[in-house]
Amino acid sequence: MPITKPVVIMELPEVLNRETAQTFLLELQPLLESHRPRIVLDGSHVHYIDGSGVEMLLQCLEEAMKRDGDLKLSAVSPESEVILEFLRVDRVFEVFPTSEDAVRSFSAIPAEAVPQDTPLYGGLFGDVQVLKQAS
Amino acid sequence: MVGAIILVAPEIPQLPRGGSAAKTSGGDSRPEEFKKGTPLACIEVLGRSVLERGVDQMLRAGVNAITLLGDSCFAPVRDEVDQAATNFPLTWGDDAWRGATRTLRRHKEPGIDVTFLVRAAAYVELDPLDALQFHRGQQQVVTRAFDEAGPLDIWIIDTAGVAESEDIVRTLGESEPARYEVPGYVNRLEGPRDLRRLVVDSLSSRCRLRPQGSETRPGVWVDEGAQVHRTARIVAPAFLGRKSKIEEQCLITRCSNVESNCQIDYGTVVEDSSILSNSYVGIGLDVSHSIVNGNQLLNLERGVALEIQDPGMIRRNAIPRKEANLQPADTFDWEETKSTREEEKRGLDLDDVSEL
Repeated sequence: MPITKPVVIMELPEVLNRETAQTFLLELQPLLESHRPRIVLDGSHVHYIDGSGVEMLLQCLEEAMKRDGDLKLSAVSPESEVILEFLRVDRVFEVFPTSEDAVRSFSAIPAEAVPQDTPLYGGLFGDVQVLKQAS
Repeated sequence: MVGAIILVAPEIPQLPRGGSAAKTSGGDSRPEEFKKGTPLACIEVLGRSVLERGVDQMLRAGVNAITLLGDSCFAPVRDEVDQAATNFPLTWGDDAWRGATRTLRRHKEPGIDVTFLVRAAAYVELDPLDALQFHRGQQQVVTRAFDEAGPLDIWIIDTAGVAESEDIVRTLGESEPARYEVPGYVNRLEGPRDLRRLVVDSLSSRCRLRPQGSETRPGVWVDEGAQVHRTARIVAPAFLGRKSKIEEQCLITRCSNVESNCQIDYGTVVEDSSILSNSYVGIGLDVSHSIVNGNQLLNLERGVALEIQDPGMIRRNAIPRKEANLQPADTFDWEETKSTREEEKRGLDLDDVSEL
């Protein structure tokens, strides 16, 4: 049975400018350097974010993706959303209303969404046995 | 002869039951979180402020004596207000409404029989001559302009009908004025959304407000000295203000206006937005459904106002010196002007301003 790595939730600082972004990045670094990091950054306490803060988020996302992992945002305030849109990076991140939603999203296809009694390919290609026979 | 007094002041003080005038607090309609207290009528919209357009309207109608009075509660934004009225000098004082009383008394001497009293607030498409004709037909001392939503801060007053000792605030508060229904377009400019609506209505020809400059192609208005890079795209309707600069690969679209002395840097998109005068917008940004004023960003879709400290994103450009086309100093010298200047030297008491 495969063991899935846990999703780590980290709270972003209240102010995300050049200085705080650097400090936060240092804290996050060991996690980013692990294999397939799965990270949720909770933005519920962010009051202020500037270009350096957004740059740091992009850097983290890039690092996570390099190691076959992912980074998602949750509970982003309207103010932060405006900044992300303003800097044209709102479409780069997956953003969720809560950290729980973001954690759940790491399971690519939720078990309850897939009917257990029929094979996944059934509806698309019909009966595979019939196709095999025909060939 | 007809005169006009235009006030940059808070709303008319309410008369308490006792009868003496008391100044209201917080009567002005501008949003506190945006524009730091500048009345919206003093903000440049499509090349000129509503205040300046109002003065022009009076001049065109043949009004003989125009006086512009600024209330000291707007002293912190005095430079911006002065900039808004480049066609006429403003006289500043402690209480513009009291200043209006004095000016009205002085109007009697040169034989001005009727005076327009206007608070610079809403954008109103009013024909002064039609309003004057209506007022004369009513045989009342005061006529007030109304629109569908109620009274507007525009009065027409028989100068002779106001007693020498009478306070104008009392006169306006106690008299039952004749109602002049404004037949034209009215935008009360109660908030930034109204400011944006005025831009859209003008660019869509839903009102008579015309952008400054010339229409270089249908729906694209460009004022004097504006520069557009050949790779930038301007989609009509749009307005580019005086000496504005649109850099490479930019897109200005959907009723957007870039006011005077603005710079939109490389690759930035301005969509359904207003960039107020003297603003810089940085490289590769997306400004949508917003108003930018210096380092302030107001997103109207989300109702979020932000002050951005990163000068690489948005910032205030250096404000050019006021053009020297002022007329000679106002002949109606105002007593309080001196004391206000002294108060400014001492440092302003901001207690009165904070509530506005």
